[in-house]
Amino acid sequence: MKSFNSTVAKSQPTNGLLAIAEAVALIEAGLPLSIAGPESAMDMLPAGNWIGGTTPYFMTVEGGRVITEGQVFVTDLSRMGSVSVAVYDADHLADISGNGPEHGFSLAIIPAGSVCHERFANEAADYPQAFLSPTVGWIAGVDLADPTASAKVYDGTGPTKHADRAVVAHIAQPEDVLASIEIVNPFKPGDGDVLRFENTDFAPTHCIVNGQPTNFAAYLVEHGMEGGMLPLIGDFAGAPINVSIKSVDRDTQVATLYAPVFPGVDYRFAAPLVDYAGTFREKLANHSLEGAVWSCNCILNFLHGSLEGKAIGGIAGPVTFGEIAYQLLNQTMVLVRQNAPDENEG
Amino acid sequence: MAIPLPTSPCWQKLANGGLAALRTNNVATQMLIKRMERSTAPAAQKAAEIHEYYAKWERSLADEIVQFNRG
Repeated sequence: MKSFNSTVAKSQPTNGLLAIAEAVALIEAGLPLSIAGPESAMDMLPAGNWIGGTTPYFMTVEGGRVITEGQVFVTDLSRMGSVSVAVYDADHLADISGNGPEHGFSLAIIPAGSVCHERFANEAADYPQAFLSPTVGWIAGVDLADPTASAKVYDGTGPTKHADRAVVAHIAQPEDVLASIEIVNPFKPGDGDVLRFENTDFAPTHCIVNGQPTNFAAYLVEHGMEGGMLPLIGDFAGAPINVSIKSVDRDTQVATLYAPVFPGVDYRFAAPLVDYAGTFREKLANHSLEGAVWSCNCILNFLHGSLEGKAIGGIAGPVTFGEIAYQLLNQTMVLVRQNAPDENEG
Repeated sequence: MAIPLPTSPCWQKLANGGLAALRTNNVATQMLIKRMERSTAPAAQKAAEIHEYYAKWERSLADEIVQFNRG
């Protein structure tokens, strides 16, 4: 199994934390880059062929890191293909896949809490080209210790900072190269109730539990799920697609989620993890990383798994406020491998 | 393995519920199956979409194509 290096090595393309000056040098060398970092650091980067988004959280080979200034996480996209940068507003998000390359994929970054975030979450699975021109990516976030912060994304060609746009690197690959978009979900569905929902909704008031209409917030409280440790897992023809609990207001009986639930999908709460980091480590050990070129992991995994300083496997990437693999995911690691068409989600 | 022609009845069969019987661990296919289940589009439109998907990803979905070529 091949390790995906998080450090800057002359023999390998960059995928790791760099000092600002090092990142500036790569930008000025004309490399196409994806960059993640705290806003103060991102604001120091010059114009170039790059996209970016805010987050101070990262997974490196050595373990989770929190960086509040002075460094950014840089992924050199040149190894993946030919890159063109684009920006989309909330009314044109379907064009991310619509304008995607004939061979390749699109890497998108969207700010948490924006209209773009909500619209993409609700609609992406139904975009006409969603499964013909794949989109991967992540939701930019904030330092949770700073209650005044808001997520931003960057079109490096300006550079221009946006609070409500999707920035996208369309990556065209040679015809003989195949990108495999995969998810690593540490959770399995538990054996509890089956929940269904009547609408696509980030804040459903009701759910159908074993056929009976039930107040969703009250159900979460009654079953001890309001803390959000365990996601709901949607059964997408066998693919476990997580939806994480954001908050439950006992007074107003409003429960909010980090991604929408969809009608026509059976949901169950995840079975508890005895050892969160250990489970992730085991999952990754059993997942081929051959040809891995990009990944991201969820802030909830970082927090609930106490991953700061803990190594879980050889995948480096930003820690994010939502993950994108065709559609919005929660509490999931997404990775892209190249030239591995025979192996899929494991 | 070449995929069946767009006119093959296998695409209609897949659009009319046959996808549910497919054995796959490909996350894109699984999401597409759910999208087809939830969709109210006419079967012919679904069949065309399924064909387009397999035509595009023929190289990486040989195991699935074998299954509906057999059926």
